[in-house]
Amino acid sequence: MSAVPAAALLAALALAALIAHSVWAVAAVALALLVPCLRAPRRRLYLGGIAFSALALFVLTPWLEDDGAHPFWHGPIVPVIGELTVTREELSSAGLAALRLAAVGLAFAVYALRLDHDRLFGSAGWARRSSLAVALATRLVPTLERDAAGLVEALRGRGLAVEGVRARARLLSPLLAGSLERGLNLAEAMEARGYGRAGRTRVPPPPWSRVDKLALVAAPLIAIGALWL
Amino acid sequence: MALAVAERVTFTYPEGERPALDDVWLSIEPGEFVALLGASGSGKSTLLRAFAGLVPHFHGGRFVGRVSVGGRDTRVGRPSELAGMVATLFQEPEDQVVLTRVDAEVAFGLENIGVPPADIGPRARAALAAIGAEHLVGREVAELSGGELQRVCLASALALEPRLLLLDEPSSQLDRDAAEALFDHARAHGCAVVVAEQRPELPLEHADRVVFLRNGRIVDGPPAAWTEQPERQVTPCHLGEEVVRLESVSFAYPGGPPVLVDESLVLHRNEVVVLVGPNGVGKTTLAKLATGLLAPGAGRVVRFGRAAYLPQDPGRYLVTETVFDEIALAAGTRRARRALVELGLEPLARRHPRDLSSGERERLAVGAVMAVDPDLLVLDEPTRGVDPERKRELAEVLRAQSHGRATLVVTHDRMLATAVADRIVALGSEAVLV
Repeated sequence: MSAVPAAALLAALALAALIAHSVWAVAAVALALLVPCLRAPRRRLYLGGIAFSALALFVLTPWLEDDGAHPFWHGPIVPVIGELTVTREELSSAGLAALRLAAVGLAFAVYALRLDHDRLFGSAGWARRSSLAVALATRLVPTLERDAAGLVEALRGRGLAVEGVRARARLLSPLLAGSLERGLNLAEAMEARGYGRAGRTRVPPPPWSRVDKLALVAAPLIAIGALWL
Repeated sequence: MALAVAERVTFTYPEGERPALDDVWLSIEPGEFVALLGASGSGKSTLLRAFAGLVPHFHGGRFVGRVSVGGRDTRVGRPSELAGMVATLFQEPEDQVVLTRVDAEVAFGLENIGVPPADIGPRARAALAAIGAEHLVGREVAELSGGELQRVCLASALALEPRLLLLDEPSSQLDRDAAEALFDHARAHGCAVVVAEQRPELPLEHADRVVFLRNGRIVDGPPAAWTEQPERQVTPCHLGEEVVRLESVSFAYPGGPPVLVDESLVLHRNEVVVLVGPNGVGKTTLAKLATGLLAPGAGRVVRFGRAAYLPQDPGRYLVTETVFDEIALAAGTRRARRALVELGLEPLARRHPRDLSSGERERLAVGAVMAVDPDLLVLDEPTRGVDPERKRELAEVLRAQSHGRATLVVTHDRMLATAVADRIVALGSEAVLV
């Protein structure tokens, strides 16, 4: 699928997950987004982050809400807060919130891992500079990840273990310095390759397929349809 | 008529104490292949940048004299306006890639210089095909090896069909065959080529003319250390006990094809082993397995004593605020002082590592690893950006300190291999024995 219809579809699915009230509908959206994500390389970090965040939200929400008339569990009485209870309504609400978070996270993961950002941002010809900045920023995460892994390996190569928050925090300064250096080198290379010159042209985008057109029609329908779910 | 001319060019960087270029006169004829040689910090990259208009426009500083390319004064107009007539391949391929996919990356420059949309795709594909990299179309640049990335960057430059191609240490990440192919492609393109290099063997074979820079000035001919092969060490080493044994090891990165299959290697104390082979054959992986940074998928690695590993491009991975602290971080202050002297880094002891030139950073990283005094020392491409004189010094230090330890050097650098190796092990099809 082309980048623009795919992005529109992902945005619609994320929006639908936020709008829909049915746990099953949101679960279906999350599942639909999980499939392409599972087929992407370098997915572990994203999936791990999403699973952790969704689980944390599911566990915390019942303690923070005070809702429902069907207690599921009675806990101790805590000063100031009162009696800790978990109701079925709170569990249901926590499940919905966790699924929503997972669906939106998965939509972003598919965007970051599977979409052709060059084509996507190339389509925004009217905002070339901004779209290029977004494309470079998107690449920053894997680059930093690679640099951090390189730093850890270089230190391990000298027999130094990099363990604990303090040791890892020590890597922030060289990582930042490395990013700045990289940024300057990139800016120089872009200038040498004619970036910023007047009269720029653009590779013609490939024609959209039937699937692309279908995705573009489906995207608003999904978002609107979620209002009734 | 000359294609590019530098007339009495003197240039000092904004924070520079002395000129990076000092009264340089040089003219480049159309179609000429010029090798620009010189030690680290001699002004090679600065001269290339002057021809690309990046000096002084991008870097600032004090510029005296005149540089013209195709009759255009580089001080008039931005460097981007010279793009197309001039194309530059910079030292670090990773730092010049803008987009995420190979075809889009090669097309980037063509779009910038206003090539008609219908011609962009064919020109980009033709440039990739010309250097035998058409199979990379559609691949993500993040997935490419250093050598593949370098070829994509060269294709990006050639696609512009420049009249002057500037190559800044293009063979630093390539094996000899790949580097030779790169020079052949550049030459076949018919444009004038200026190549700055610290590995002089290949440029000397290909160049019509050699220009040697020292302290920013053009001087007569390279010194002998640049052109003569080092004498082979003939004293046989007395092998000590085993330090590491790799038995039938295999390895594959997650989700990838096997990189190593059933490889074995034994390293003893007192010997220096050089590991050679074409790009992508698994040399670095084998080196990491030997030091314990990776665990084999199959087979066994037995190690006796402490191992130390210097990664490729180590200048990127310096973490402290001074040169001295960097060495002392793992080695302690006493050993750090000794290492500073041995590697000629004493005058730089209080400098920030990121203020050093690429060659100096490389030496610092070598020093930081050697100073820990390991039983197994593994150096992965330790001479990137290091000039032949410093290379000889490094070889001498490696030889002098080889007693009592096993040393494994992964390199494409024949000069270093010849100077240090007791034994050469070839991975893949390239079988070179010293």
